[in-house]
Amino acid sequence: MSEYYRDSAHLYEIYDRFLTSVLTDEKIGPKMGKAGIVIKFIYTDPDCEILIDLKNTPEKPGFYGTFYLGDSPIKEDVWSKQSADHSHRFWHGFENPIAAVAKGKVKQGGKITAMLKLLPVVRPTFRRFPEILHELGYDDLIVTKK
Amino acid sequence: MNANTGKIIRIDLSSHSIEILEFPPAYYANYIGGSGLAAKLFWETADFNAAPLSPESMLMFMNGPFAGLKLSGTSRFCAAGRSPLTNGFSDSSCGGYFAPELRYAGFDGIVIVGKSKTPVFLVIEDDNIRLMDAAAYWGKGIEDVTRALKERFDKKYRTLVIGPAGENQVRYANIMHDNHHSFGRTGFGAVMGSKNLKAVVVRASEKKMALFDPEKFEELRNDINPRIPKGMIPEVLREFGTAGSLESHVYAGNVPIKNWTSNFWEEMAEALTGTTLSETYFKGRSSCAYCSIACKKIIEIPQGPFALSKGSGPEYETIVAFGSLLGSMDLGAACKAGRVCNDLGVDTISAGATIAWAMEAYAKGDLTDTDTDNTALKWADMETVIDIVLPAIAMKKGGLGRLLGLGSAAAARKIGKRSIDYTAHSKGLEAPMHDPRGGGHGKALAYALSPRGACHLSSIMHFIESGACYYPEIGFDYDLEPMTDENKAKVAVFAVEMGNIENSACFCQFADRQITLPEWIDLFNCVAGYDWKINDLLGAGRRIFYLKRLLNYRFGFRALDDTLTPRMLEPARDGEPKGIQMNFSGMKADFYTRIGFDTTKGIPTREILEKFDMAKESAIVW
Repeated sequence: MSEYYRDSAHLYEIYDRFLTSVLTDEKIGPKMGKAGIVIKFIYTDPDCEILIDLKNTPEKPGFYGTFYLGDSPIKEDVWSKQSADHSHRFWHGFENPIAAVAKGKVKQGGKITAMLKLLPVVRPTFRRFPEILHELGYDDLIVTKK
Repeated sequence: MNANTGKIIRIDLSSHSIEILEFPPAYYANYIGGSGLAAKLFWETADFNAAPLSPESMLMFMNGPFAGLKLSGTSRFCAAGRSPLTNGFSDSSCGGYFAPELRYAGFDGIVIVGKSKTPVFLVIEDDNIRLMDAAAYWGKGIEDVTRALKERFDKKYRTLVIGPAGENQVRYANIMHDNHHSFGRTGFGAVMGSKNLKAVVVRASEKKMALFDPEKFEELRNDINPRIPKGMIPEVLREFGTAGSLESHVYAGNVPIKNWTSNFWEEMAEALTGTTLSETYFKGRSSCAYCSIACKKIIEIPQGPFALSKGSGPEYETIVAFGSLLGSMDLGAACKAGRVCNDLGVDTISAGATIAWAMEAYAKGDLTDTDTDNTALKWADMETVIDIVLPAIAMKKGGLGRLLGLGSAAAARKIGKRSIDYTAHSKGLEAPMHDPRGGGHGKALAYALSPRGACHLSSIMHFIESGACYYPEIGFDYDLEPMTDENKAKVAVFAVEMGNIENSACFCQFADRQITLPEWIDLFNCVAGYDWKINDLLGAGRRIFYLKRLLNYRFGFRALDDTLTPRMLEPARDGEPKGIQMNFSGMKADFYTRIGFDTTKGIPTREILEKFDMAKESAIVW
């Protein structure tokens, strides 16, 4: 039972707003676009998939990449599987990605090193995720550091 | 004897005599090999009154029990003795191809005492061991001498060579192996130079080894080897080198900037990171013997002020020491500085750190043009660093070269003006390029407690605190919060045990992250036939740590020396860790209680030593 998400629609609502914010950000977006890869995040509880295409020309103007919630038409270069709750805490900056892989909380496949290049790039978004939760009226889902 | 050969070469350079020593098997079982065995041999046979650069001092090269076994990560070996930089017992680790070759030649190590009247080099061809005239090589750089030795013998001969810095006994002179691998830390190149020993070459005629249970070892090897390159850290290392995580370190506040005056410099992160190195100057990978990670980089800079021919590229430590630490974000300059250091024979960490201290001292007016022979030491002036400062250090040229050749701590003591406060060292050894104020408070504890001085590899705290390793089989399953003191002392006890096991087994700390504790036990048992359980393994690690502490107690180190400089203990000034004050004294006190140290002497109590079968050693210090 997820601590933060009612169902997949709930998760997609939040990540839609979050990824739109990140991929249109003038500072973060271009750096993400430089990664040149397609990443699929596979979430459990609720079961969801989000694919971020940083390789092909963005579909929408003003975006530095394209994201798909649920089924996607293209094949990923790298995938990362984790619980939706783990991802929720990660985007707050509260999960150590090295530790998560070492302890098996996150499983990965494909061009892992390409995805790792993104880690420092997305770090500034850790402040943005709780802001998005606030904007959507989900203050109760904002995680605070113990 | 299994695993080890049981034979150690002893050379007295004063008399040019060579003998083969054999030590009791218990030395190996209790002290493993590498830095542990070196500590034991030093304790039993060294002249404690000998100054580090005197003829009587003792220099050792020591293998671990797994050298030559075609297992990823086991081709490292150790140099050890009394350090001219710290004046204490120290060890330094080097990868490459020398350790397997020495093992195949039939030896676990080399002990060198005395001083040759004229420059010589040592040749080991199986049991044909001899000293040869090195006059033609003396005064030359490491690249030329390595090339000449390989042309004279054969490219398959493995070499250890010192440069002008070693000959001139610069306190942080290194020893280079095959021109690409380094005994960087604590100045053993100066010890070689003080003995007029320019080089060592080794070649074995066949690859012969005896193991306790070769079938079991082969089974283990086939299981472990394919796993080692597949972890998250090894994949980053292979793709981007040891600087692959530099950018993440910058955002955490783990990378020292401008002599530790800052923890955050965003533009520098992308300029210096390993991904940038791979996208710009990268020409290929290289590795240590039998390693499937291949973290080393071959680079070339075709043109520009820092043009470099195709050859070895810099590690993370070198990139930061000659990059952000000096206020520079010029990756080409860092590459060039690293190559120059390797040819002159100076440790890149100590050299970069000492120059960074000097730049701050110059900016403050604590160092004047009179001190620097009218060389302006300005942040990010890499041409001056490469063309003037590094050669001056290696040649001990002028006041500047003689001063900076002492290392930052001794140089700061010499000029006074409280400039020691803004050095970054422990026990005289300059800190590596990981800033505990942002990278994790446990690292501060590890630096201060390390017998050889500020070092992130003497214990495995660096890896535990970053979340890279867990040992659930013994209930060791902590999720450490880097920027607090919570559980740090408790973890540090285990971290020093494992660090000493790894450095004594001469196992690469990147490769062995994939190895579980039961596999460690299986490896020792099938290779050496020890019949160990986990407590025996950890006990050996603890015993080795204790012995190194006792050695340094005999050299005058006390509990008060287990500390860091004021600069390293102040709260971070910027970045994510801004304003956080670490509880260093609390962590240290907690560690002392847990490890059983006397709070004044800084060594284990008599009772603790006896518990670890060290009553004989105890009787000397208590």
